[in-house]
Amino acid sequence: MNNNFLTNILPAEGGLEAAGTGKYNVVMAILGMLTLVGVGAGVHSLWVGHEHTFGVSRGVPWGMLIAAYVFFVVTSTGLCIVSSVGHVFGIKNFNPIAKRAVFLSIATIVAGFLVIAFEIENSWRMPVGNVIGANPTSNIWWMGTLYGAYLFFMLIEFVMLQKNLHKTATAFGLAGLLTGVAAHSNLGAVFGLLNGREFWHGPYMPIYFITSAAMSGCVAIIFFTYIAYKFNGWKMNDDMKKAMESVAKMGALMMAIIIFFTCWKMITGVTGQPPGKYEAMQTLLTGTYSMNFWGGEVVLGMIFPLLLILAVRGRNMHVLFIASLAGMIGIFFMRYDLVIVGQLVPAYHGMGLVDYPELLTYVPSLHENLVVVGGIAFCALLFVMGEKLFRGHLTENH
Amino acid sequence: MKIDDLEQMDSEDLRGLTSNERRKFLKMGLAVTGLYLGGTVLSLTSVKNAGAAGVVPEDGQYPYSPHYSMVIRERLCIDCERCKNACVKTNHVPAYGFRTTILEKRRSLGGGKHETIFMPVLCNHCNRPPCVRVCPTTATYKDEKTGIVVMNPPRCIGCKTCMTACPYNARYFKEETRAVDKCDFCFNSRLSKGESTTACVEACPADVRVFGDLADNKSRVYQLVHAPETMVWVLRPETGAVPNVFYINS
Amino acid sequence: MKKILLLLVFGVFLLSSGMLLADNEGMEEEYDEDIYGPEEPIVWVKPVESVVFEHKVHTMGAELDCESCHDDLFAMEAGAAEENEDFTMATLYEGGYCGACHDGSSAFASNTRCTTCHIGVRGHMRLIGGDGDEGDKH
Repeated sequence: MNNNFLTNILPAEGGLEAAGTGKYNVVMAILGMLTLVGVGAGVHSLWVGHEHTFGVSRGVPWGMLIAAYVFFVVTSTGLCIVSSVGHVFGIKNFNPIAKRAVFLSIATIVAGFLVIAFEIENSWRMPVGNVIGANPTSNIWWMGTLYGAYLFFMLIEFVMLQKNLHKTATAFGLAGLLTGVAAHSNLGAVFGLLNGREFWHGPYMPIYFITSAAMSGCVAIIFFTYIAYKFNGWKMNDDMKKAMESVAKMGALMMAIIIFFTCWKMITGVTGQPPGKYEAMQTLLTGTYSMNFWGGEVVLGMIFPLLLILAVRGRNMHVLFIASLAGMIGIFFMRYDLVIVGQLVPAYHGMGLVDYPELLTYVPSLHENLVVVGGIAFCALLFVMGEKLFRGHLTENH
Repeated sequence: MKIDDLEQMDSEDLRGLTSNERRKFLKMGLAVTGLYLGGTVLSLTSVKNAGAAGVVPEDGQYPYSPHYSMVIRERLCIDCERCKNACVKTNHVPAYGFRTTILEKRRSLGGGKHETIFMPVLCNHCNRPPCVRVCPTTATYKDEKTGIVVMNPPRCIGCKTCMTACPYNARYFKEETRAVDKCDFCFNSRLSKGESTTACVEACPADVRVFGDLADNKSRVYQLVHAPETMVWVLRPETGAVPNVFYINS
Repeated sequence: MKKILLLLVFGVFLLSSGMLLADNEGMEEEYDEDIYGPEEPIVWVKPVESVVFEHKVHTMGAELDCESCHDDLFAMEAGAAEENEDFTMATLYEGGYCGACHDGSSAFASNTRCTTCHIGVRGHMRLIGGDGDEGDKH
């Protein structure tokens, strides 16, 4: 039964033949090892308690793992959005990347879940707690529940795509897209609805999250597609090149929107020095996180990839890859800064307290770094495996 | 009927209504529509969240009974920290955490001189607690009877969202119970065992902390909060949490 | 380093808030322990933590002589008052110990301006160079 199911969805022929088993095995072994190290660090942290292994504290309870989780689910939602442009909304140019995007949206969200499982100190209580203690006012409840549904829809969509049941796939793709967008804007609302956190509070977060998801999706699909072809020695056909060009242009548009958003976020954070928000914004603009912000977010994440894509009009694959690599790194900085800087202004700020920090500090610990590396390795492992099993995710019957 | 007779009759238009009657009618309408549209969210005459005009609730508008609250007579605090120690002992607070602590303010007296003001802080047991709203598994909730914000440790998944949501830094993750821990006005350690007050209140030598039922007009907290010529404030009112720890200056 | 300096500066400010009649000119004069008593502030931790007393403020600053307090109100021996059972605010209100002057006419009354002398655990830690307990750290 199980075997039958697998033979149904695994293409036995056609598509692209993966690179030699030697190279593949080495890469898989390395990624597998890194995943295990990450899982080991995570399990150890759960065992002895975050108090002893993580850099998080009472004042900054969310650390790099939350940032990595946000990074993964933003990417996943983005890949879902990008995939749906082609086969939900019927823009033909986007079709060649659709299957890979759907697969990767699953891979990235699974990696995200892996990371969050170690950030939530009692994640095993979640399945039961989420049902018997369901709290409809909690954005994190909605996010978790919707992302669960999202993963389910995306899995079905992927299976339907493999079975060439396109109508059903499109229906589940649409369901996945809708739940993904709802889940993701709820993740934004997890931050945006906290009245006590001035830097996050407001409608900006959910809106920004969706827009930057679309941007992340474009960047990620270029990044992964290029590596898949390079790693396996495949040659891109014209349809794929055309698709990459279209994705790059959509990505460039999204980057421009993100630049616009970021400008106004900066201006509203500074003008009139709004209490709480201003201190956090200054930390980004001129303080301890200014390198992250200007170097990581602005240059790597926005300006550089945008200029590269515009310079080659999305047509040079090597340049597109460089742009997407910079984008991926920049986007990680965006998530990290967003999560950490929002917590740095302490609760009783602006009250003239003595011996009270003006800003809190957070440094990720070794354990946290290892878990994040493990998550990235696991995502990469799924990606490499997927390329081999699904023969380059080619879309033939369109 | 002749036109003259008509003029003789009592008018039935709104002018005939006393303003009290009018108000009553209006109030009923608002209450009805408010209830219809989601009660406390939109009703202008909502009982539960009334008092938005100031930090001290209107008389009789306390959602809980007993409506436990604490009044901090701030300028009397001398930071002897007996409250902290009593809390640690009573509630088994580990060395890396606290349920209550004392902060220190400085105020210029001019001429280069300053005065120190110690500010005890603890969970504010808000009427609209952000921590309770964000908890995905209702592991933290407002006790329906007393309004105390309590924890159900076995339900806590450790996502720490309540810690980021709390405007008062009143929560920490307690590794020993694998759950977020916080002040519960000594509900588990004392009140539920028949004691009438919290450990910190009992330990305070300067009568800074006063604990009691705000809904009882004979209680000290009621009398302090409603005393004339008294400055009453709460911490971070702008977050809309409607806290139940009041600070006064006398 | 900067932080420690800052703490020190705060500590000094805090202490200076206790100087009721201190004038800045007097401060520049050399402090002579034989005339003015020990320079180190005295910190009582009983019956409550922690209360500061500075000879400097009272002798050099307020120009009181030793006999004003010793040996009637306070024994010369360091830490003696602390051991007495009546070393409480109630006694002060009745004119004992500090209350002899801190009665609202000679100096501010004992039941006002608590934190002038009560520096608390935080103030004490700062005085002896330990870290103050920071609310947002664990």
